[in-house]
Amino acid sequence: MPAILTVDDSRAVRTIVGKQVKELGFEVLEAEDGVQGLEQLAQAQVDLVLLDVTMPNMDGPTMLQKMREGGNQTPVIMLTSESKRSIVSGAMKLGISDYILKPFKPEELRQKVLSVLQGEPGADSVVADASSGASSSPTPAEAGPGMAPAGGRFVDIVVVDDMENVHKKLRSMLPNHVSMNAYTSAQAALGACREKVYRVVLVDTEIPDVNSSVLAQQIRVLQPHAAMVALTLRTSNDVSKEVREQGFDDVLFKPFRPEVVDDFLLRYFDNQDFLQVEDNVLKVAPFSGKADRIDRFYGRLNGVFPEALEKVAAACYDEVVLDVGSPPMEGDRLPKFVVAVAQKSQEFGMTLSLVGPNEVRKVLGGYTETKDLKIFTTVQEARAGVAAA
Amino acid sequence: MSVDKLSAELEVILVKRIQGDQLFLPSMPAMATKILELLRDPDAGLKEVAKLLEKDPVLAARTLRMATSAAFAGGTKRITLQEALARLGTKALKGLLVEASAQKLFVSRNPQINEQLKTLWEHSVAVGILARDVLALTGQGDSESAYLAGLLHDVGKPVVATVLLELERQLTEVYQKGWIDSGEWLAVIKRVHRKVAVALAEKWQLPGPLVTCIKESGEYDKADRHSLANAVCFSNALAKKAGIYAGDVDAEDNDAIIMIGRSVIGISDDILRTLTKGLRERVMGLYD
Repeated sequence: MPAILTVDDSRAVRTIVGKQVKELGFEVLEAEDGVQGLEQLAQAQVDLVLLDVTMPNMDGPTMLQKMREGGNQTPVIMLTSESKRSIVSGAMKLGISDYILKPFKPEELRQKVLSVLQGEPGADSVVADASSGASSSPTPAEAGPGMAPAGGRFVDIVVVDDMENVHKKLRSMLPNHVSMNAYTSAQAALGACREKVYRVVLVDTEIPDVNSSVLAQQIRVLQPHAAMVALTLRTSNDVSKEVREQGFDDVLFKPFRPEVVDDFLLRYFDNQDFLQVEDNVLKVAPFSGKADRIDRFYGRLNGVFPEALEKVAAACYDEVVLDVGSPPMEGDRLPKFVVAVAQKSQEFGMTLSLVGPNEVRKVLGGYTETKDLKIFTTVQEARAGVAAA
Repeated sequence: MSVDKLSAELEVILVKRIQGDQLFLPSMPAMATKILELLRDPDAGLKEVAKLLEKDPVLAARTLRMATSAAFAGGTKRITLQEALARLGTKALKGLLVEASAQKLFVSRNPQINEQLKTLWEHSVAVGILARDVLALTGQGDSESAYLAGLLHDVGKPVVATVLLELERQLTEVYQKGWIDSGEWLAVIKRVHRKVAVALAEKWQLPGPLVTCIKESGEYDKADRHSLANAVCFSNALAKKAGIYAGDVDAEDNDAIIMIGRSVIGISDDILRTLTKGLRERVMGLYD
């Protein structure tokens, strides 16, 4: 757990700062002046110093200077009622990371503490370059056996809910290729959000002893590009407006219904997740749901394949390979989908080859419209076959 | 004579002239003065204002352009000057007149100085845009007045430059040799421009908050965090950081002003990005 040292001669300021920092999940150390501050630094591992300027015995700038002279490069945020340019400029020369003027708002303290601990670029980079970036190192973690790896830095979904069953239920309803992390405590979730990049953050609005609105705000600071979705019980009242006022972008109701989860996936995950395009190969994502969701699966595929084909055609390919994987083969949905893709490919002036297992070959062989299509076992074979032709 | 000593002496001369009401301060252009007087008259109608404005084609064109801009929900439809005035309202028209009058100060017959003044005007426009956006994006303070406040924060500089040119001519005649170089020239201007600007703003009868802003925008006011002066102080440093400025910049001091200002006013990274994104294009686009 990162430790933060607050050096201030005011007990009230140390108490307020300590409370804020603890809420972020950090350990807090205190010192009344620069002398005590240096002693604390010599005794403990500190990740960040919040430093006042005017203090008895040894003031902030002197302590900062002694730290740097002694080779201590711990990040420092100056937290002071002093606004003289000469003092701040002098502290900047000694490498302060940021500055907070007292009295301050809790959000400002939280934001700057997190920003410095994440090693985000300062105002220099923000002014010079409009692009932003969070820098953190990945830590190993697994979503669970048989699921998409969630141990990398980029993970699709993080769920914060004190009920483990909610995690399990949602996980079971998500396609395997959608990665997910799940946490029962706010602290653990904040820790993960400091180290990973998520696309969607789901936060339960009823975690005991946790203000979900504040938690959402904290996570938003760490995950500025993620969609923030409230997890809440379905009630007769429309709570959408209420959760938006609390800082959420959207709401997902519990208990989860398949069609609602499908809509959620469609809304937050690029359609290409269902049909990935690589060069001239279109790869259908595996289907893992129940039989009652097959129609939605094909409906989605039918909705996205024209755009995928257009991309391949725009790259000037004469051939396109459709890797259907192991799709659900009930009814005539697969042949109809393949026929639609073949027709559209023809419109773009491309020939279509298919990749799929024997079961697919059997099913498509039973229909007049698809029996003559070239079907290969692997993408490599399909490419070689096309080249030979 | 060292630059510091020369600057100090010039400062004394200028301050004495200001205090004795002997400094020649440029008047507001006659047409702008007349229109502003008419606007103060409660009985005057838009028709009369439009009639007067028609006599100055440049001002009239600028009024029409502003009224048909996106900021005033303009469109491609042609409108009359009277319709333009109705759309703008009195406050915006007054601002436009002050802006047009101030811009005239940033022009010199001396080509070298003219180039410096052109860059200085671009800097002023950048500060105006930034100051307005700072208050608008933080949702605090008077963002409408902030544009004019930013635009006028350096209005004393061209006036001082003109006085220095006049003094240079006199001294050259006496000593038969050149005077100070451009760096020193800028240093003198930097030391005295604010006092001159305040005198000018008072002469032009600008609103009190604008005069206060010109007077105080060199330092932050901790008691009134979203004041015009704080927005202008921060924006001035930000425009310099973005490279829109004429003259040397003390980078460390400037960075300190930005760092302090971000906390004083409450500027997040997101707001900072929005403020500086495409700033140069926005400045150039305003007077192309």
